[in-house]
Amino acid sequence: MHRRHFLRSSFVTLAGCLGGCRGNQYAEVKHPGDPSMVGSHQAGGETWRPLMDEAVGKLLGRHSVARQSGPNGQVLPPLRICFVGVENKSIEEIGDFKDQLYEQIDSKILESQIFQPVSKRFVEAGLMQTRLRPDLLMVPANMRMFVGAMEQQGQPFDYLLYATITSGTTRENKDYQRDYLLTMELVDVHNGQYDKQSATLSKGYYHSRLSRLMKG
Amino acid sequence: MTDDCPLVCAVHRRDPGLPAAVCRRWILFLLLPLLPLFALGCATHERRLLAIRDGFYSGDLPVAEKSLDDGLKHDHRDSEVLLLERSIVELAEGRPRESEQALRTVRDRFDELERARLGKAAIALITDDRHKAYCGEDYEKVLIRALLSLANLLGDGQDAVAYALQVADKQQQIIEAAGAEASSDGPNPKLAYKQVAIGPYLHGLIREATHGNYDDAARASALVVQWEPQFLDGRADLERARHGRHSAPGNGVLYVFALVGRGPYKEETLELPTTVSLLIADRIISATNKYSLPPTIAPVKVPRIVIPPNEIAGIGVYVDGRPAGTTATITDVGRMAVEQHQAIYPRILAEAVVRRVVKKGIVLGAKEAMGANQATLTSVALDVAGIAWEASEAADTRCWGLLPDKIQVLRLELPTGRHQVALQPVSRYGSTGAAEPQAVTIDDGRNTYLLANFPDSRLVGRIATNSP
Repeated sequence: MHRRHFLRSSFVTLAGCLGGCRGNQYAEVKHPGDPSMVGSHQAGGETWRPLMDEAVGKLLGRHSVARQSGPNGQVLPPLRICFVGVENKSIEEIGDFKDQLYEQIDSKILESQIFQPVSKRFVEAGLMQTRLRPDLLMVPANMRMFVGAMEQQGQPFDYLLYATITSGTTRENKDYQRDYLLTMELVDVHNGQYDKQSATLSKGYYHSRLSRLMKG
Repeated sequence: MTDDCPLVCAVHRRDPGLPAAVCRRWILFLLLPLLPLFALGCATHERRLLAIRDGFYSGDLPVAEKSLDDGLKHDHRDSEVLLLERSIVELAEGRPRESEQALRTVRDRFDELERARLGKAAIALITDDRHKAYCGEDYEKVLIRALLSLANLLGDGQDAVAYALQVADKQQQIIEAAGAEASSDGPNPKLAYKQVAIGPYLHGLIREATHGNYDDAARASALVVQWEPQFLDGRADLERARHGRHSAPGNGVLYVFALVGRGPYKEETLELPTTVSLLIADRIISATNKYSLPPTIAPVKVPRIVIPPNEIAGIGVYVDGRPAGTTATITDVGRMAVEQHQAIYPRILAEAVVRRVVKKGIVLGAKEAMGANQATLTSVALDVAGIAWEASEAADTRCWGLLPDKIQVLRLELPTGRHQVALQPVSRYGSTGAAEPQAVTIDDGRNTYLLANFPDSRLVGRIATNSP
């Protein structure tokens, strides 16, 4: 009797293996308004997009008011802005999001017509020509050299723009909360005055669904 | 087999006059002799692999290519392994675009098989692992992405960052998937895997060359230092990414990559089941039925990793006739393969034990169904068939056999313009083999890449570069 059961079990084992799911992958086009996926281990589009929208929106909003009130009430021509790049100082790798963030911020600034950004290709060429690190552009001699190189390319500018991502982590046993901060810093290259706008977003990471339900 | 067996019932329904017991006997007599046939047909693959390796290592790439072409024409089951071998041959021949194409095909196929969970696992249970579609060892899956990035850098370089990012991503996926599987059974064995530093290294060097993303380069270099502390150049890279610059004005950078030594391969060995593997086998059996593992201590055939001795310590690089430095190991492929194999070895052993038990169970069940007593001729015939069936089993020794033992690199900052570079293998006793020349053009503020294959003291194929 045991043998019969064992034989049956052997076939059940085989059948169980045969029943494995097929290796197809599926995809769908996400339309605006469709719910986005949420990164389970680190920040993704659900984090960076709203952060970028908010920070850039705040920055443009403030300067939009300032730019429309010229001495005679006229609208001033757009200021030339050199967007140096997105610097990731957070604990996480942002991988392929970095270049996307740059492009999105650059596009938003261009669309606003408040600022006239210098093309990224000119910025990269200027940095390569001078071999200056973006974080050392504030040294006066470096700044003069960089401005000179950009003018040589026919790309003078009034402001330098930096975007910086930082994060802070709070742990509670196996779960943790991470606060993401995107800061946009605009520096006037003529007098060194700066403006700063930032947006923050907090995300909870839970080790189980139950934990998420309990604490979420 | 019991009376409620669907196959017996179906035959019985078609011919109600035929007694059920006779039906069972005929079905078993027809099916059992077929089972050992599943085990045939893999010897040709091993012979072919030997021909490919012999051709490659002797520098006769047309012979290696011919064997690959034959294999790809006739052996569809092993097409992924053969494509992997072909990618290395194409790299050695200076055809990075074709190599990239082959690697991309295998990467996608392996991903597909991974999602398919067990592939032909059921057939593998009654034969052996060679009948499963080969879905790659974990280190192979990671190295595919690293070599994709390298091959792309030698071409237009447009996708190199994406491939480099996929290296770390794939490692993470492998460990997480094993963690999910192991969560109920105990610790995740793949946490012991050594991370592959060449992924972040490639990412860092590409980002540094943008002159605007030193933060990415610093982050990547920090990972390289953490994952491959013996790669001393990593510290200099980290320091440069944090405080320095890509190159001085008027200079560019040359990266010399070398695939050094003969990489790991698998061979069959007989092993006694260990306590850990028996425990895992018991879990596999119990997961699909209510029985536990019957006691078995018979040795089983499993693969083991072999690393051929490597005489080459590095590649000496000469620029315009002057020594410029020696390459250093960024990824030790051989060591990684051995460590990963050790980490999952109990599982490999357990699967071989399960296979043995299932085969025994089927033969035993067949005897029961046919009413064969110990002394009858049928019983003896079934025993002989069972022994032949088990004896026909062999370990799955498929692997990416043309991988190097080590991937090495040297970074050199050189003045803009054309330079004559020469590469010469260095053993621990000094230079060995001829210096192989290659002209390169260095562009201001840009990276230039060289890749050479030195499985021993002789260059195989030619030196590939993106800027001749």
